[in-house]
Amino acid sequence: MVTILGREIPNKIEELTIEQFEAITDINNNKEIDPVDRHLQIFEYLGIPEKEFFDFDISEFIEIVKEFNSAQDPLANQEAVTTLELDGFTYTAELKLTVRETKLIEKIAIHKQKGYISDMMAVMFKADHLTKAEHYAEAHLKLKSKHIRKLKAEICIPYIMFVANKVKNQVEDVPTEAVE
Amino acid sequence: MYLPKQWSEVTLEQFIEIAEIDKELGAYHYNSEILSIITDEPPESIEDMDIDELKGYIDECKWALSQPSNKYKSELLGMKAKPFSKLCLYEYIDLDYYFTTNYIKNLANICGILYRQSKVNEWGEEVLEPYEYDCTIRAEKFLDLPITDVYGIINEFLKFRENFVKVYQNLFQGDELPELTAEEKAELTPEELKDEEDTKKDSKWSWERMIYGLCNNDLTKSDKIGGLPLTYVFNMMGMKKELDI
Repeated sequence: MVTILGREIPNKIEELTIEQFEAITDINNNKEIDPVDRHLQIFEYLGIPEKEFFDFDISEFIEIVKEFNSAQDPLANQEAVTTLELDGFTYTAELKLTVRETKLIEKIAIHKQKGYISDMMAVMFKADHLTKAEHYAEAHLKLKSKHIRKLKAEICIPYIMFVANKVKNQVEDVPTEAVE
Repeated sequence: MYLPKQWSEVTLEQFIEIAEIDKELGAYHYNSEILSIITDEPPESIEDMDIDELKGYIDECKWALSQPSNKYKSELLGMKAKPFSKLCLYEYIDLDYYFTTNYIKNLANICGILYRQSKVNEWGEEVLEPYEYDCTIRAEKFLDLPITDVYGIINEFLKFRENFVKVYQNLFQGDELPELTAEEKAELTPEELKDEEDTKKDSKWSWERMIYGLCNNDLTKSDKIGGLPLTYVFNMMGMKKELDI
């Protein structure tokens, strides 16, 4: 946690929820706004109204931003959590992807809808008592994603890294222009 | 699961299916669909694979990165390909339509127009059957053939059409007007807008209007006009235009 203007806000990956992490990542990825506005929006999202920074000197603001960002290094070597308890059910995941799962994650990534990290996690975590059809049913994935969003963001890092590395290694050879 | 090693092992029907895959859905969707099509495996069995396994198969399909050979067979299924230079008007109009809308998806119909039965007439000359059949029914016969048997037709016809349009460019002028944007339309006066819409209507009905004009508004003659050699019809139209008759 970091204290800014007397308010304690989460800034470490193990303090942020996946929902907060998604929102912050979305703001950070918005290249249409400048870095100062981006951070004002992030602080506003985490509970510090933008107007409270209006009287701030820019150099003071930069120091605050530095402090906030100092703890945001992703935990690259963190071990993956493979079991989750959600709403009374146990869900397990492995660091591997089938074609079906990758297609679903690809669809999520293409549409970049709100909550795409939890949507991706919902695809990867499966309940043992469900059939394949039930697991991939849209309604089930949505509900699971809603529960996952409330978990701490540290859980999703190994999965994001795994998916990113997997896809990066594969896309170079993809023959998408076969019938041009 | 048998994996084809070259385009000659892919049928025309499979090739059309590949062309119909929605590329907007992403590379994994595209690749898994292709693999399902060329191996004749149900999509579900491909979707159950690990993505590394899919990559292995896709790596073996590098041949699909290049187009099939630009050749085609002059004889198929006991039928002969009609030379483009001998096309009649109706044949050309139908081919032009299929090429303009989507020549990959319509390739079987295009083959249905071009490949003809033949016989030797009483003078000992080979004649091709007239274009009096439904090309979409004949098209089905070509679907199981290797794509390499017919793919070259596309390039050959496109070259022929380009040359044909160039030779008779004064008769084609104004056929392919670009669509105006909403902003461009907003700048037009009501009169200009009406002219633009009239031109678009003319363009939409250009073949029909041409035939209607050639048969002097007597539609009972239209089939006769449509059966005339393409170059003859255009030569006559060129003459009429030049002499203003």
